[in-house]
Amino acid sequence: MLTIQVFGIFFIIALAGIPLYFSLIATTAGIVYFKDLPYQLDSLLLNLIGGVEPFILIAVPLFIFAGELLAKGGVGKRIVNLAQALFGWLPGGMGVVTIVSCLLFGGVSGSAIADTAAIGSLVAPTMKEKGYHPDFTAALLSVAGTLALLMPLSIPFLVFAFVSGASMRILSMSGVIPAMICAVALSIVCVRYGKKSGCDNGSKPSSLKEIWTASKEAGPAILMPVIIVGGIWTGTFTPTEAAAVAVAYGLVISLFLYRDLKFRDLPEIALKAFQTSASVLLVIGATGVLSWLLTAEMVAMQLAEWIQSVASQPWQFLLLLNIVLLLLGIFIEPLPAMLLTAPLFLPMARAMNIDLILMGVIMVMNLSIALYTPPVGGTLFVAAKLCKAKIGGMTRYIIPLMAMNIAVLFLTTYIPWLSKALPKFLFGVG
Amino acid sequence: MQSAEQIPTPGYREILPCGPQQALPVFLLARLIDWALVVAAAVMILLVIFNVAAHAVGHDLAQTTEACEFLMVWVSFLGGASIIRRSGHMTITEFIDKLSGTQRRIADFVVQLFTLGVLWILFRNGLIIVENNWGNVLTVLGIPMSWQYMPLSIGSGAGLIFVAYDLYLILCGKSREERYGVDE
Repeated sequence: MLTIQVFGIFFIIALAGIPLYFSLIATTAGIVYFKDLPYQLDSLLLNLIGGVEPFILIAVPLFIFAGELLAKGGVGKRIVNLAQALFGWLPGGMGVVTIVSCLLFGGVSGSAIADTAAIGSLVAPTMKEKGYHPDFTAALLSVAGTLALLMPLSIPFLVFAFVSGASMRILSMSGVIPAMICAVALSIVCVRYGKKSGCDNGSKPSSLKEIWTASKEAGPAILMPVIIVGGIWTGTFTPTEAAAVAVAYGLVISLFLYRDLKFRDLPEIALKAFQTSASVLLVIGATGVLSWLLTAEMVAMQLAEWIQSVASQPWQFLLLLNIVLLLLGIFIEPLPAMLLTAPLFLPMARAMNIDLILMGVIMVMNLSIALYTPPVGGTLFVAAKLCKAKIGGMTRYIIPLMAMNIAVLFLTTYIPWLSKALPKFLFGVG
Repeated sequence: MQSAEQIPTPGYREILPCGPQQALPVFLLARLIDWALVVAAAVMILLVIFNVAAHAVGHDLAQTTEACEFLMVWVSFLGGASIIRRSGHMTITEFIDKLSGTQRRIADFVVQLFTLGVLWILFRNGLIIVENNWGNVLTVLGIPMSWQYMPLSIGSGAGLIFVAYDLYLILCGKSREERYGVDE
């Protein structure tokens, strides 16, 4: 009964347009007050402060800051140039270039919105010039931008590691193969579109010299995830320290190497990055307050019993997880959706011996799909705005791209090797 | 009240974006919050980088770890206040966005009134937490824990002012675009 009340109150408040941070606090305070529960609100709110202070979470603002530095520091255009040199010759080549650029830039930014905005602003004009329909360009960007969430510096992975206690070192590598399969699947759609529409039959293949020049230019940026992952891999850095290294490296290449950024730009970038991270961290903290109440009132246990009654086998549980997350993601941003559902699903996953790393990859993949599911979504809006496209028009092109990603999601769900192979190869565990 | 529109526009590019135009006292409070956030963030970044460097040469400094956690609380709540002013908190807007004109203004008023209530709860309980923790000290830094808990009431207090001012603008008949700009 309390489960229905908690979620009912939360959804009514949140859907009415109250910011999620305040909706979570109001739900907790309302339940405590109206159910006359024996908890002091000030003691409960200590969980809010406790929820934002852990050292590991410092990585969240730092990764966002590093991503912003690189996005503004000219890394995007160098990555697009490299992708163009490598894949521009394919039919639908600019589409493939967009996907590869998003994949590579995602490796340094870890943020889907930053990925879509940074790459979109570079490729959208060229795609328009070549004759790509703006709705297709926007649809592709909104989908390809989310590949960032499966790459090593993914912020949702970091948050999942914090919530579940899973190893960030292993998680950071577990999304790479699914991301690459998604990239190949999306590229097939682009090649088909290029051929069918006749707008892009591919440019002249680049010479080895051109590829070398583009690689040299983009090299220092692409080296960043290698350094970060290498540091985490060898145990030299913790995720928080890796984030600090990412910031230091991002500062050096943006300020001194590429020189696309000036010192006076830094305060504005820091303000934006720390505002973004505050909105994420306060939701993490507020979810912590509500989770504490749910745990104290045995709500998670009741929900687990219900889940067990409808999905007693691991495959059924994973199917239910995918359906719930895909539906929830239509309305709620990925991180809050993960924070709300992880404490409820994780105990069940543990009880069914489902690997936490697999759970993390599935959750992040589902929630990344939510970012472009019409009618609302973070990357959907950014891409629509960049390409001056209409959400209605984009939907037609999003469907095949989304179908590809859902197919990869189900492959990843039921073939755990896909998420485990790379961590196992690198770390010997997974 | 003097509005920010009356503040002479500087002939140079502002280092920090000004955000929505507001009455001078509210605007100055917002600038103070933004700059405090940037300074705290810069110190935190430097401390973490310093920590990595110290770790690399075989030293583990508990002080920097605790100082970073201390600053993390400050940047989170100051950042929270800063985005309240820009209406930037994560929100499900697909239903409220379907409203326009007077209906939208009424909905915005209700949302902001509700937010004001929640901010009051946070502010009041934040003060209680601060009051109760002057006797407890942070393990390594040795300063009262109240300093670490203070940003909850400071951030919520600043948020209260921003939301109350927004309610005043809504009552004056200002649309969302006029209050936050077209991009918000």
